[in-house]
Order: sequence, then C-alpha cells, then structure tokens
Amino acid sequence: MAARTRSNSAGRATPLLALGACALALLPLFHPPLFFESFLYLIFFWITLATSWTILGGFSGYVSFGHGAFYGIGVYAMANLGKPLTFGPALLLAGLLAAATGVAIGAVTFRIRRLRGELFALLTLSLAIIISTIVLNTPIDGGPGVMVNIAIPHVYEQQSSTLYLIGLCVAFGSIMVARAVQLGTLGRGLFAISDDEDVAEILGVPTFAYKLIAIGISSFLAGVMGGVHAIFVSYVTVGETFSISVPLYVLLMSILGGARHWLGPALGAIVITTISYSFVGGDSALIARAAIGLTLIVATIFLPQGIIGLLLRARITAPELPAPHASFAAAPKTPPYEPTDGPLLEAREITMSFRGLRALDGVSLTINKGEILGLVGPNGSGKSTLINVVTGFYKPTGGVLLHCGHDITGMSGHERARLGLARTFQIPRPFARQTVLDNIMVPALFGARHESRGDARDRAMEAIEFVGLQDRCDALPDELNLHQRKFLELARVLASGSRLVMLDEVLAGLTPREISEAIEMVRKIHACGTTILFVEHNMRAVLELSDRLIVLNQGHLVANGNPREVIADPVVVAAYLGADHAEN
Amino acid sequence: MKTIGLKAGVTRRGALAAGAAMMASAAGVGRAAAQASGAPIRVGGTLALTGPLAQTGAIHKVVGEIFIEQENKAGGMLGRPIEWVLLDDQSKPDLARTLYERLLTVDKVDLLMGPYATANILSAMSVAQRFNKVLIHHTFGIPKLANYDRHFPAWPLGAEPEKTVTGNLFDALASTGKAPKSIAIVTSKFPSVQFLAAGARDVVKQRGIEEKLYLEFEFGNRDFGPIAARVREANADLLYVGAIGLEGSQLLEALDQLNYKPRNHYYVYPTPGPLASSPLGADAMAATAYEDLAPLNASTTAQEFSKLFRVAAQKAKLPYLEPDTQAATSYSAWQTLTGAVNATKSLDDKVLADYLKGNGADTIVGKFRFDGANNYGPDLMKVKQVQNGAWVIVWPKEQATPGKTIIVK
Repeated sequence: MAARTRSNSAGRATPLLALGACALALLPLFHPPLFFESFLYLIFFWITLATSWTILGGFSGYVSFGHGAFYGIGVYAMANLGKPLTFGPALLLAGLLAAATGVAIGAVTFRIRRLRGELFALLTLSLAIIISTIVLNTPIDGGPGVMVNIAIPHVYEQQSSTLYLIGLCVAFGSIMVARAVQLGTLGRGLFAISDDEDVAEILGVPTFAYKLIAIGISSFLAGVMGGVHAIFVSYVTVGETFSISVPLYVLLMSILGGARHWLGPALGAIVITTISYSFVGGDSALIARAAIGLTLIVATIFLPQGIIGLLLRARITAPELPAPHASFAAAPKTPPYEPTDGPLLEAREITMSFRGLRALDGVSLTINKGEILGLVGPNGSGKSTLINVVTGFYKPTGGVLLHCGHDITGMSGHERARLGLARTFQIPRPFARQTVLDNIMVPALFGARHESRGDARDRAMEAIEFVGLQDRCDALPDELNLHQRKFLELARVLASGSRLVMLDEVLAGLTPREISEAIEMVRKIHACGTTILFVEHNMRAVLELSDRLIVLNQGHLVANGNPREVIADPVVVAAYLGADHAEN
Repeated sequence: MKTIGLKAGVTRRGALAAGAAMMASAAGVGRAAAQASGAPIRVGGTLALTGPLAQTGAIHKVVGEIFIEQENKAGGMLGRPIEWVLLDDQSKPDLARTLYERLLTVDKVDLLMGPYATANILSAMSVAQRFNKVLIHHTFGIPKLANYDRHFPAWPLGAEPEKTVTGNLFDALASTGKAPKSIAIVTSKFPSVQFLAAGARDVVKQRGIEEKLYLEFEFGNRDFGPIAARVREANADLLYVGAIGLEGSQLLEALDQLNYKPRNHYYVYPTPGPLASSPLGADAMAATAYEDLAPLNASTTAQEFSKLFRVAAQKAKLPYLEPDTQAATSYSAWQTLTGAVNATKSLDDKVLADYLKGNGADTIVGKFRFDGANNYGPDLMKVKQVQNGAWVIVWPKEQATPGKTIIVK
C-alpha cells in the first residue's frame, strides 16, 4: 500500500501537517489548561517512538522488540549527562549513543542471513534485557533510580510548555524524517528489503548499508525522545524505562496506523493514546485495555494496511504515465561496454559445496559479449546454483569469477548488479507489496544505470512498455497472471540496464503461445545489445535462441559448443537419458 | 472517572452511631455526626488500577472508598460531602503526571491525594509543586527524594529509613541477648527495596556484624536456585531479604530445595499472606506499620476500619483480606487530609500545609509528625514476625502483641 500510494499522499499531507504543527506550537500562548499540553506531549512521545520504530520495523520489515533499549539509552543519557553537559548537548548525545548502539548491533546481526524475522525480533528483545542489566548494575542507575532535574531552554513562561514544544518538534521532526526516508531512494530500498531481501540485493540495493542507516535513524530518534522524556517523568527507574510495554505499544501503534507509511504510526499513536486516556476513570480502567485490544483485533481483520490504508484507499489513482515518446517502440538502451579484451564473464574452477554436497565442481566457462549462451542440464545439475554464484547470492567455495577481466569473486550482490549482472527467477519473485511500476523502479534506481529518481521512473516506464505491461502499472503482483509475472521479471532486468542477463527458466509454466511471445521478447532484449545466459529445459527454445550451448551435469561442465552438436553429444544424451540411450 | 460521594442523607440512628464511634476513637476525630450537605469537596488522585502495580493499587482503592463512605456518613469535611475524583494512572509515572495536571486544571479538584508507588508519587509531586498544592501520599519509599515542602507522607518510614528500619530490627534482635553475629543480605533491585537493603549494609557495619553475603538480583527474577546456594554457603545468623511481593517466598522455596532453613530471616516488603501461611515462613520477620492486633487496633476507628476492610476486600476479591501496612497507611493518608481540613476549616493549601507541619496528624498508624527533614517525622515502623502461622507484632515492646516476644535462634 505504501508503495502504491507513495506519490499520492505525501504532497498534500505535508503542508497540512506543517500547518498543524505550527498551530500546536503556538498553543501555549493561549494558556490552555496545562493538562492539554501534557496530554498532547504524551501523544508526541508515542508518535516519535512509533514513527522511529517504523523506519526500521515497518519499512525494512525487521521487526524489532529492542526499541525500548534505544529509548532507554536516551533516557539514561539525559539522566546522567544532562547536568554536566546541559540540555542541548545531552539531548544530541542521547540520540547519538542510541544510534551508535543500534548501528553496532546492526553491524553484527545484519550480516547474518538467518537472523531475520522472529530471530531478529528475539535478538533485539535480548538487547533490551542486556542494556537494562548493564544500566541496573552500574552507576548509570545501580538500582534506586535517578532523579532528573535539568534546566531546559526558556521558550515559554512555563517549563512544562517548553517541554511540550520540544516534544512537538521531535515528533514532527520524526514524521518528516520518516517521510523523507520513505519517499527517497532509501525508502525504495527498504521496502524492497522488506518484501524480498535477497532479490533486493541482486537488483542492486545495498541491503546491509541501508539496514544500518535505517537502524541508525530509528534508534537516534528513539534516543532523542528518551532524553526529552527523562525530563518529563523527572525520576527514571530501570523497571519503568525498559518495560516490555514500550516496544509492544510501539509495535501495536505502528501496525494499527499502517507500518509501511510514514504517517501511519503517528495515526496509530494518536488513536491508542487517546483510547488509553479516554478510560482512566476509576470505574472504567479496564475498559481502556479491552478497547485497545478490540481496536487491534478489528484493525487486523479489516484494516491489514492500517488506518492509513483505509484513509488512502479512496484516493488511490493510477500513476500518471509519461506521454509516449519515440523510444517506446524500442527497448531501453543498454549502456555501451567499456572497451576491454576478453570475455564479459569468466568462471574459473568454480566450486560450490553445501555441507558436503558439491553442487558445482570446478566449473569453468566464459560468456562472451553479445552472445546468447544456452545453459541446460538435468534437474539438480547446478544451473541455478551457478546463477546464484554469478549474481553473488552464494559465495563460491572455490574458484574465481572475472567480469571484464576483473576479479569479482568477493563482491556483494548489489555491487555485481551495478556492474551490470542481472537475473530472473524460475519462480517469479516480485516485491509482493509493491506495484508493477514500483517493482521496476527498484532496479532502475539501484541497478547498472543507477539513475536519478526522475530518470528511473522514465526508464521503468520504458521497460514496462517494452514488455507490454503498461496497463498494469498500478497492479500488485498478485493481480498478475504467471505470464505477466514472468514479463515483470524481464522488465526488471531491462530497467536495470544490465549487460549480462541470466534468464532462469523463463518459459516454465507458459502456454505454447506465451512461450513464442517470450522467445520473441528474449530476442528483442538481445537485439538491444544485452548478453544473455539462457537457462532452459525447453530444447526448442534453446536451439532457437542460443548462439552457443553449455551443459551441466552433477555440478560438472560436460559440454560446450554449437547447440546442435552439443545436444547430439553422447555425454549430454547420457546425462539426460542415461548411458544406454547414449550408446544407442 | 470515578467519583465517590454520599450526597443522600443518612439516618439519625446511623449518624448517631457513627458519631459515637468517632468520638470514641483514639484517633480523635471527635466530631459529631451531621448530614453532609452542599457542594462536595472534590479530592483528586490517581491509583494504579491497571498495569503491573494494579494488585496493590486495588487495596488503596478499597480503602479510599471505605474512608469516604465513613467520612460522609459522619458529616463529611466542613459539613460538605467528599467526592473522590479517582483516575487510573495505569502504573505509569508519565501518565500520573498528566492526570494530576488534568485533576488540577480541568477537573479543578479542591484537594489532592497521592497515587501509589514511589515513581508515580514523584510525578504527582512535581505537579503539586508547580501548583503549590498539598500532596498527601501513602506509599513513598525513598524519603530523601521528596524535597517539596508541601508533601506529607503517610508511610511512616522516617527521614532515614535506610538506617532506622534496619536499626529497629537489630534493636529487636539485640533485646533477646542473641543478636546475630553475621548477616547475609540479598535484595531485589526494585528501587525502594534496594535502597533499604543498601542502607542495611551500613547499619550492619556500624554494629560490628559480619556481612557474609551481599547479593542483588533483578526485580522480577524467578530463578532463586543460584541465590539460595549462595545463601546456604554463607550460612549467616540472619538472612535479610530485600524482597517485594512473592520474591521472599520464592527464595524460601529455593532454600528448602537445598534442605536449608535460615536460622533467622527478615523481609522488607513481602506479600504477607503466602509467607504467613507457608510452613517455610515460620519465624519470618518483616517491617509493618499496622496489623489488626492489640494494641495497634485499640481505637474504635482502627477496629471499625479493620472490620470494614475485610468485608470490602472480600467483595473486591483481594487476595489478602487482613488490613496491614498498605491498607492502614492509605487510611491514614485520608485521615491526615480530612483531619487538617476539619481542624483548620480551610481548603487553602498554605493553611493546610502550615497546620500539618505544626500539628501533624492522628491516625490509626500513630501520631504523624512532619517536622523533620523532607517533612518526615519519626520512624513508626514496627517489626512483625510469623508465629504459629500468623503475623504478630514483636517490636517495639510497648506495641508488641500481648504475650508475644521475638523468637531468635
């Protein structure tokens, strides 16, 4: 939803928000009952925490239960450093310490592929426990709690009014940061990570760096709010600060409001805080809990995209398509090759083992510029593994990979994508929660061309036109049939501007008519100057398209040469049909 | 919003009975019953009615309701009924602050009553201070943190409980001639508990008692096995447990698993019921401000309170039906407030504060004085001990349950 409505919601909402924030900033001048400022402050507090959480948890999909830790670091930074440093520097330090902790944790955990999903959530929960234990067992607190009596800048007559203003500024700032992240390149990358991190990486998204940036921003904002809140509560204790209720509330607010939209968590925070506050009477205390629970159940069932999804649903319009221009009939141009001698890609003695299973065993091959290289082999022969090694998804156990003569064996997936290596998947792996256009924007932004946002959109539209999906720009992948999803994959590699495209069984599951269309499409892509590695079981297509054919069997390269000669090679026949057939 | 008040009239017989009871009270309210009439006096406060502190918060709600009903039957304050504007702070200090601001600026209550628990009271205190309001509270655990000159504590710890509460204990033990020569201190890191336990170390040092073990554990800890092993290894004459809630009982169970029974054992704020009813809790000691035992319950007011509390606690399904420190200090806080208003015939905060500082308050817990550091008076805490499956007061001697003396091994 966030991606589908990306351009529609932000423009109109922002001036309204800014106007609202200005009006709220002036509220103390009208001397409202102090309680209103205090209540609004609590809303600002939760808006900041929920919004900062969503930059990591909502946008990138890395659900964190450790947000209380970052907030707590901010609380104790202010409690301990506020007096010696004064408010401003202490507040900045509160944010920086939280950010440093977040980045340090991310630098370790984000490198480990298996630490995603619930494992990441549990790990961050442990972080909160560790931090609270450190705080509790050191002079940072030591157990009895810390009184916080720190002077804050004098803006309004009442200190509480000034604190309210600070809370407003932090909350508004957090929303604007989340907006900038979502609408910027970082947001594109984070949403791609959220939907399919491996695909994002091989499409060129620097996933590790982006996640680090996201956790850094997220924890910085939480730390800053913690610093402000330490002054608000005036006495901080470990039990209260690191309570599990903080990350839980933040999570609930984000989900209720819409975790994949910069404004969603703020809406969730407003609703839950207001409900929570509406039932504080002595006789109705339990109603608040029940009301919050009921709201969440209803929202989960009826508003899977949160309140923001409901608000924006009526306003969704198809993105404006750029006016057709002359180049539409042609494919997007592939960047010219740098003048180098030798093959485009060379694999030398590539070995890939999985716990004793050798999927590739000393495979050496070359892919020459401008050719269509067919790659066939029985199931389990290592074809997809080879593509995974070339695109950087797997690091080979042995061997060297050269691109235009340069060793790229140690390069990450996104670095290879930027060199111009792209692939499709046997079973299409689009970003499920992004529209067709947004799916294709990702490689246009992050791929070989590394376009600016405006150009990337043009490039994406060209690719969409090229594969004939222009009527489905605003559709979600689930709304496409298999044929269209395969073409969506083709459009992604086209938009990336890659020099070498690896097509992994693009024809699988298609009807004969669709296969013919797909073959034609591959020809058109090749005609644009793209080198193609064509992995396929359909021999008719392989023979029709390939300039050269290689065969893998049980991880070994067993044939390489003219397609028609290769398929007649007894070794190849034996690989497919057994030794008896080869002899016959 | 919870408002409790009796606006309807009471029967003549009831009024007379209530009046007679009040006059007989050792707490000395001493007012003839009269029908409360006119606009109510609104007393605002919050309690932890939900959240992690709700179980204890419920005790204070029950007590407040008992008191206001009694008071209104007896003529209210200044002849006007009391209306309690009670809000739920959800056990959160930040919400407590906001709600006290609401009580003062939106609900415009006349007087304040404090919330439950130290952190929430500090939040409320900061608001009271900004508005120069009197804040009477019942459960503040760290006196040195309360430096507002119009706050008045009903939890009678004295200004330095870290010294006096433990001092009382050792005085009690020394009175038998069998003062412990060694001690093992284990404490939760719950702020008000750890604060007392840390202070106990200094007292122990001053008295020349050997500290064989000092161990802190996280509040909420459930695994007492390793702690029990250390306690057994220390094998001190006295086990001092800075425990809140069920932690003390859990430690005893862990010790029992190791076939170890502490010779003497003391708990700071235990949940009283389980400790008394368990065989493992035999001879356990704890601090208390009140039990429904002679001579503490000698006054009619105390007896009436104890009786009403049991009924109300059962109705509210509280787990422990005996009125003890929590309930009694809560009641005393209300006595302090209404006593000051009735004595001064004023709702002015300065007048009330001056009166309380000068005169203190007569309560079922004892005579409060607020003339010491941070408005604290003497430490009125007593030492109680589980004997034959029930708590009895054992120290100071003049307040000990008749026929009961401290058992030291």
